[in-house]
Amino acid sequence: MATTSKQYKVIGEELWKGRAEKTNAELFALTYGALVVQLIQDYEDYEEVNKQLEKMGYNIGTRLIEDFLARSNIGRCVDFRETGEVVAKVGFKSFLNITPSVTHGGLPIAASPTRSSTASPAPTIPGATFTLTLDENPLAEFVELPEEALEGGLWFSNILCGVLRGALEMIQMQVTATFISDVLRGDETTEIKVTLVKYLEEEVPVGDD
Amino acid sequence: MSHHLFLLSPSDTPLYELTHYSSKPVQTTTSPLASNLPSWSTSAFAGTLTALSGASSATQAHHIQGGPVRMGGGKDRHVIQMIANASLDVIEEVMRKENAMYLKSVDKFNEWTVSAFITPGNMKFVLLHESRNDDGIKAFFVDVWELYVKTMLNPFHTAHTPIRSPVFDARVRASAKKYL
Repeated sequence: MATTSKQYKVIGEELWKGRAEKTNAELFALTYGALVVQLIQDYEDYEEVNKQLEKMGYNIGTRLIEDFLARSNIGRCVDFRETGEVVAKVGFKSFLNITPSVTHGGLPIAASPTRSSTASPAPTIPGATFTLTLDENPLAEFVELPEEALEGGLWFSNILCGVLRGALEMIQMQVTATFISDVLRGDETTEIKVTLVKYLEEEVPVGDD
Repeated sequence: MSHHLFLLSPSDTPLYELTHYSSKPVQTTTSPLASNLPSWSTSAFAGTLTALSGASSATQAHHIQGGPVRMGGGKDRHVIQMIANASLDVIEEVMRKENAMYLKSVDKFNEWTVSAFITPGNMKFVLLHESRNDDGIKAFFVDVWELYVKTMLNPFHTAHTPIRSPVFDARVRASAKKYL
């Protein structure tokens, strides 16, 4: 039976409250800020910094998913749409205490067969997307991007994209996550678009019988 | 009536400057010195001021007449800065003795009073003003302090470098309008 969006919210809340160790938000923001500034000084190329942040996020994501699944006990998502809901309402809530809003989208291919709630076209077919709109970003408290960073195309919170990619890859979904807009850059909203590339086949580890 | 704000690092490097023209009505309190002396000598003071600032004779006449004096940005700039710099010694003296952050008016030069505010991180906020406005100035200093702390928290800002952020500038101006 499908878990409703409201139930996800409740699960997310409980997970957040149940966490024994929380970290100070200012310390977190300052640490991340220092990290980004250091990367900029080391690489001096904003595109490269974006890539490095994404890579770091990927490494975090592959480990984070274990923690998440262990604590939340959420079962398999029926489709990519549900994945988006869980990521936003339970995932982000339990780790960052924010609930981004989700908008779904995807290629307008013929709707999948036996689904009665055809709210979004082809939710499981590669090409499906969901967009997370963050109205607050704990990583970017107090941050003002200097001119060079704006021109160089820095996505300050790009680590989040990596986390999403890494985490979803561990549960057999290959996705690409990118920033579409960022308030730090002067846009209206901060949005991350996650696109499903393909479902990964369960691979039997080499040596297993 | 204008105010001049200077933010100075612990090593006395100027990090930020602002000139604010207040639209609030000025209580025309003549300095006690002026009331005692005959009118010709007060004009002599005014003359000193304008002579220091190297103003043209036209402005000099304007000063002597009194009335709302608008300090032109360029001409009197170095007088203002001289006053601010001179007050630093006094500020440091007072700093040693007092523990409070808001040191009221530490120095006086003709019609200019210098008020100072020392942050826990040893940043000096110096304000040159003509009229008395202790409460407003204190509130203004506290506000600027909060804005300064927020700027320091920006990872892209290096400590003790000039503050160039337009956001900070806009907010300080708004605060000046509000309190001064």
